[in-house]
Amino acid sequence: MTETWRLIDMRIEDAPTQMAIDEAIALNRLKEDNPNTVRLYRWRPSAVSVGYFQSLEKEVNLETCSALGVDVIRRITGGGAVFHDYDGEITYSLVAPESDPKMPRDILASYQVICGAIVEGLKTLGVDAEFKPVNDITAGGKKISGNAQTRRHGVVLQHGTVLVDSDIRTMFQVLRVSDAKISDKMIQAVEERVTNMRRYLGREVAFKEVRDALVAGFEKVFKVTLEPGNLTAGEERTVEELKAKYSSAEWVSQR
Amino acid sequence: MKRAEYKVPGGKLLAAEVEVRDSALVRVKLVGDFFMHPEEAILGLEEVLTGSPLEEIEERVESFFGEEGITLYGVAPGDFVKVIRLALAS
Repeated sequence: MTETWRLIDMRIEDAPTQMAIDEAIALNRLKEDNPNTVRLYRWRPSAVSVGYFQSLEKEVNLETCSALGVDVIRRITGGGAVFHDYDGEITYSLVAPESDPKMPRDILASYQVICGAIVEGLKTLGVDAEFKPVNDITAGGKKISGNAQTRRHGVVLQHGTVLVDSDIRTMFQVLRVSDAKISDKMIQAVEERVTNMRRYLGREVAFKEVRDALVAGFEKVFKVTLEPGNLTAGEERTVEELKAKYSSAEWVSQR
Repeated sequence: MKRAEYKVPGGKLLAAEVEVRDSALVRVKLVGDFFMHPEEAILGLEEVLTGSPLEEIEERVESFFGEEGITLYGVAPGDFVKVIRLALAS
């Protein structure tokens, strides 16, 4: 019989709630003996997330975000800043125990396996996606997905972005390019290193198509059935507690 | 405050913000898009470097990462030393 994992399907929430849900699932995975979980979600309002180690003000154009109504949040995972465009981006997350036989103990190897599910999904839509270690997925040599993983509470939590039709101009208005790359030429080069599914395929791409493709990718790579479900009452309580942390300046502005 | 950035070849971006008084680091913040597991270890690294005489920076970084259980991706221990030196020289 095929193993069943839980799918929390295309929940639309603000930035503190989305980050609180990912952490709440990780925190309760072993405590409540919940199933392994895949989430697909969108951020409303659109938001920038910075990596755990990043400088908020060096990475994010805070004035532009405020003018555009774009939220700003810090993740518990490392890696780079991401623009989660409500109209053009799907985020996924996966939580499974470190001891799960389907989850390599080695962090790099587990990136490859989890990103492999995204790659598979994108391929079903005709995107010739490729995993680029440590944590990127490219199409036609340009980044189309960024991923970040943490390990805590005995589990692997990986989340990542899939650029469907993200506004790449706005992306580079809200994200600050580091001083090391500040010339116009370099900014152009940075923009040229990123793509999205609509640009790559040269057609409109519906969220539903991407959702279906990602579900199929996870099911194929992990040999599981994803069964739509909801958060447990315990997870919902943890979400409420964690939302305060993620909303606080103390957390968001800590570095 | 002095600041420098260093893009690790084939790796991630690392930056250091430092303040020096009487030939010792009195404040150090290490930022970037790298990965460190467990993440909170960065606070321990900054703590062991705070108060460090400038000539002890390398030794303290090495001894910090010499302990078991800290995994880095996109940067190596020596890159932290390098970016701090760049910030000091800026």
